[in-house]
Order: sequence, then C-alpha cells, then structure tokens
Amino acid sequence: MSGRKTTGGCLCGGVRYEIDGPLAPPSACHCGQCRRYHGALGLYTLAPSERYKIKGDRNLAWFESSPGIRRGFCRVCGSKLFWERIGSGQLDVTMGSIDPPSGLKIVKHIHLEDAGDYYDPPSR
Amino acid sequence: MAQSGISEGGKGAVRATGHCLCGAIEIEIRGKLRDVVVCHCGQCRRQHGAPPSYTSAPWSNVTVRGEKNLKWYQSSAQARRGFCRLCGSSLFWEPVGEGRVAIAAGCLEKPTGLRTVRHIFVAEKADFDEITDGLEQLPHSMAAVTA
Repeated sequence: MSGRKTTGGCLCGGVRYEIDGPLAPPSACHCGQCRRYHGALGLYTLAPSERYKIKGDRNLAWFESSPGIRRGFCRVCGSKLFWERIGSGQLDVTMGSIDPPSGLKIVKHIHLEDAGDYYDPPSR
Repeated sequence: MAQSGISEGGKGAVRATGHCLCGAIEIEIRGKLRDVVVCHCGQCRRQHGAPPSYTSAPWSNVTVRGEKNLKWYQSSAQARRGFCRLCGSSLFWEPVGEGRVAIAAGCLEKPTGLRTVRHIFVAEKADFDEITDGLEQLPHSMAAVTA
C-alpha cells in the first residue's frame, strides 16, 4: 500500500488533489449537518494532512460548521471535498471526489440516531 | 442577480420547509413533493461527495429566501446545480426548461413525510457505493418519472 497514490477533485476541475499512501477505511455519516450540506450522506475517508497536495487552493472555500470543525468546498461548482478537525493534522476527503476506482468499501455507518426520515438506515 | 425560474411560491398550505447548513438560504414548498430518488451518476457523486437524495417540485410552488447567497453552476447543457456560496450546501438540481427543480431531501426539516423509492444511474455507480435497500434500480435516468 505504501506506493499508493490517490487523485481526485471537484466537478469543474477548479480544485484537484493527490494523496500519498493508504487511506483509512471510509465511513458513512448520517448526521443532520452532513445530510444538509451534502444533500446526501457524508461519505469520507481520511489521511494525515501532510500527505495531501492540493491544487487550485484559491477555489477552495472553507465553512466552519461547528466550533473547531470546517468543511472545504469548491467555490466555483459547489463540490464538497474536505472535512477537518482544525489542528488534528488529519484531513477527511469525500469518497465521491476520488477519481474512480477508489478501491475502498464503506465499513461503518455513524450517527444513525440522526438519520433522515426519507430512507431506512442500515442496521449496522 | 435575479435567477430565472425562482418564484414567490404557489398556492395552498406549506408542504415543507428547509435551509442550507448556515441558514443563509431558506426554502418553502407548497403543493406536492415527488418521492425521493437517489442518483448515482458521476456528476452528482463529485458535486455532492456522495450519491444525493432528491425530491422534486414545480418551481411555481417553491419560495427561496436569501437568493443572493444561492450560486448556480451549469454542470451540463441540460442542467444546473444550486448551492449556498457561504457554506457550500447543495440545495437544487434544475433541468433546463422543465419548470421544475429537484430539491435535496437533506435540507428539509423533519418530518419530511417523504420516502425513497428508487435509484437511478446505477450503471455509473462507484466501487464504494453499495445499494442494500432492495428498492428499484434503473441503469440510467428516469425519463418516464416526472414531477
């Protein structure tokens, strides 16, 4: 896995990234904040921030969605890209922004207590 | 700048309300809402970061407040996507010339009274995207299903 490189970016191409090395097993977040922001579940994997190379930084907008947490999106096309606990040294990246194939599977569902009422959340 | 298609809402009782994550954009829908459809196409996946869940309504039944914060991105010749320029929340997908707008179910207040009924563009599904709910799956669009 050490030689692995992941690439991805937003819909318009205004923001692109590369991540060196392995990615954490992804999770699906059902919380109200993620569902409101994404219009979808929040599907994220994770890697240390220093393993990212981000191009098009001027197109990347950050929104502090709760104290110490910020979400990064492309200001041109609105694509959702990053979630960060500020100062953690780690950066979450949306599964949907990764150039396919990701080679990953969703391994857990979180915040099921806050799931939407318009679908049946998985029991796991 | 005024956005064509945005109206002051239709007649009748309010069916649903919603807002973006930061609250700068509020929406109100009167009349009926379509059942929820999950789209697995590559464009939706990138823009939302995951396969989105959309309901739909005629524009004439939708009221938008805080419209100056609503930014549109023309993602293809057929459609544009509306999101909040402040917080990035995805709210709308608008097919050109149909007089309707698809509304992200995630922005609506509970109880939504909505049910998910099918998955579309399953032929474009990503490798990490597993459908386990047993609902109908269409390989591409749902031309026969309208608002």
